[in-house]
Amino acid sequence: MATINYRTIDIDALDPDSAANFDLSSLAPDVVPVLTADVQTLAGQVRQLLRGGDTEGALRGALENVPYGADQQGKEVHLATVTEILQSIRQSDMSPMLQRIYQSEGGSELLDVLMKYLYKGMSSKQPSSSKNLSPQPTGFSQIQARGGGEGGGQAMSVLLSWHEKLVEIAGPGSIVRVMTDRRTV
Amino acid sequence: MASHEVHHLFHNPIADHSFSADRKTLAVARDNNVELYSRSGNSFQLQDELRGHDKTVTGVDIASQSGRIVTCSQDRNAYVWEPSPTGWKPTLVLLRLNRAATCVRWSPGETKFAVGSGARAVAICSFEAENDWWVSKHLKRPIRSTVTAVAWHPNGVLLGCGATDGHARVLSSFVKGTDERPEPSVWGERLPFGTVCGEFLNRTAGWVHGVGFSPSGDAMAFVSHDSSVTVVYPTGPEQPPKAVVSVSTQLLPFTSLVWVSESEIVAAGYDCEAYRLQGDSNGWQLTGSVEGKRRPGMPQEREESALNKFRQMDLKGKTKDDTQLPTVHQNTISTARSFQESGAHVSKFSTSGVDGRVVVWNL
Amino acid sequence: MSQSLRPYLQCVRSTLTAALSLSNFASQASERHNVPEIEAASSPELLLNPLTVSRNENEKVLVEPSVNSVRVSIRIKQADEIENILVHKFTRFLTQRAEAFFVLRRKPVKGYDISFLITNFHTEQMLKHKLVDFIIQFMEEVDKEISEMKLFLNARARFVAESFLTPFD
Repeated sequence: MATINYRTIDIDALDPDSAANFDLSSLAPDVVPVLTADVQTLAGQVRQLLRGGDTEGALRGALENVPYGADQQGKEVHLATVTEILQSIRQSDMSPMLQRIYQSEGGSELLDVLMKYLYKGMSSKQPSSSKNLSPQPTGFSQIQARGGGEGGGQAMSVLLSWHEKLVEIAGPGSIVRVMTDRRTV
Repeated sequence: MASHEVHHLFHNPIADHSFSADRKTLAVARDNNVELYSRSGNSFQLQDELRGHDKTVTGVDIASQSGRIVTCSQDRNAYVWEPSPTGWKPTLVLLRLNRAATCVRWSPGETKFAVGSGARAVAICSFEAENDWWVSKHLKRPIRSTVTAVAWHPNGVLLGCGATDGHARVLSSFVKGTDERPEPSVWGERLPFGTVCGEFLNRTAGWVHGVGFSPSGDAMAFVSHDSSVTVVYPTGPEQPPKAVVSVSTQLLPFTSLVWVSESEIVAAGYDCEAYRLQGDSNGWQLTGSVEGKRRPGMPQEREESALNKFRQMDLKGKTKDDTQLPTVHQNTISTARSFQESGAHVSKFSTSGVDGRVVVWNL
Repeated sequence: MSQSLRPYLQCVRSTLTAALSLSNFASQASERHNVPEIEAASSPELLLNPLTVSRNENEKVLVEPSVNSVRVSIRIKQADEIENILVHKFTRFLTQRAEAFFVLRRKPVKGYDISFLITNFHTEQMLKHKLVDFIIQFMEEVDKEISEMKLFLNARARFVAESFLTPFD
């Protein structure tokens, strides 16, 4: 008994020449697999720098060793590391630091990586903090609620101010590269 | 120094433009037709219209010696138009492509032309005298996505093509009987039809929008959607290139490029402005805009009240209200081409854009 | 307040400016067609990485770029159920009149309240930075609108309750 509905078979998926079967991995040939353990070791080293007060060194270290080839978990670990560094840098230090990185050798690429992490940070699910649910089941809350429900708002505003500073230095080109680059973080 | 001539032809996008050899005739692709403009004094007047395509025309090229015009369109066809006493006479080219044609260029010798297409192929078309028609041979093999740009090597055999699969390739389009055996070059010695002489992918693998060979033909540059310009210097056949220089810019992506000399490129694109790049095999860099920063004749910025200014800043994230861009082109530049050469240098180039303007720039 | 609107809108603005680099691109899957690739999704290499800009959990913008079209989806701030209802009604009102807005999509992307679809034909006819302005302005106006509607609704509710309860006074 044939139970397959032949009308609903996606024939494009079966045709190796079809445009739908484009192999995206061929666009990122030099991505090598990275173990999650290695990412964790790196995170430890970076934290060491961070504790020593060398925030710029920590940021550089994290951006120079991007685990493009890591699995989902490894990437999350690295994202957490980068976010931690970003949050520990004061607002007034951002621009000068980015400027220094941009002018150094291969700096524009590092900033592209940073841009990727900013977007990744904004798209990731934040652990919902405190007042996220509707405060009053009746719905007749009046004034206070309009400003409420800002789960993860603090973390986002750090990323947003980094983003603003970064666009000033690296330009829209850097955003375009986040979109085009098949090597995701 | 940075003077230029603006011709605002209409309010439709210009997909491609081409000047005749004497620079008196200008062909532009507008919607489904190609319009021919002729110079009268300082402006261009509409003179003729080439009708025949039934979808957007994507490419037009005037052969500089014979004056023949080739056009291609998203309706999968290409026509070669020849002047006759009763007007322009079209000849349909047997492209045998089943997807949109995206770009077309005459070879330097004008005996054949290349049509890029969405069928993941480039059709090399040459004239067959006994049947009195244009036939095509397809370059298919490594191309895996829509071909967006083609450019000829000065020897008329090698073809550079860029595609949305992020690769820029150099392929041989040697047609027996039409072409003479080319001199061996850095790209290769024996070049039967379809030889892949080079395949380049830049770091982020953005779609390639434009390709071009340097005047000597010994280097190739391509611009891609990651806002970068990549220049490739090959060493010889079967060897890795001696240098692949990639410049990532802070700007929006470029769509087209022109080699000014061996050490200078002009690239233009989504920033509505043309930029200069200079360098050699040791490195390239962006040196600035071709347009002067402040043009005379720009409307003065209006003084705004402080309240208004801060309100704009807070609400919209920007400081002033502007309908006009500070650049000459008001929308994306789609094509940049050489207009005048003096010696080995390009001294003038022309750009056309989505805003319906054709601009001739002095370098 | 550190979470002011400005950096958020600024970020959306620069993201959109970068994403709106579109070209006229005929379909490579079906002949003689020219469709928004982001909707057709027939060739993976023509789609770019989607980007999210978020201000907090309840306010974000998803930008999905492709070679000839960009899909922008907005999640409007909703703090409670009333706002939920108001946003729903408001976006429904707009999407039913989508043809008057050109760039509005009839159905929002899952997880968002309203979506826009901008194609290369829009960027050809309209000024690109003005399209960006439109989205930005929409985002700020919609917040204001919802707040206003909510205040109005509450005022009405109070009035109704008062006049209803007067006889029992």
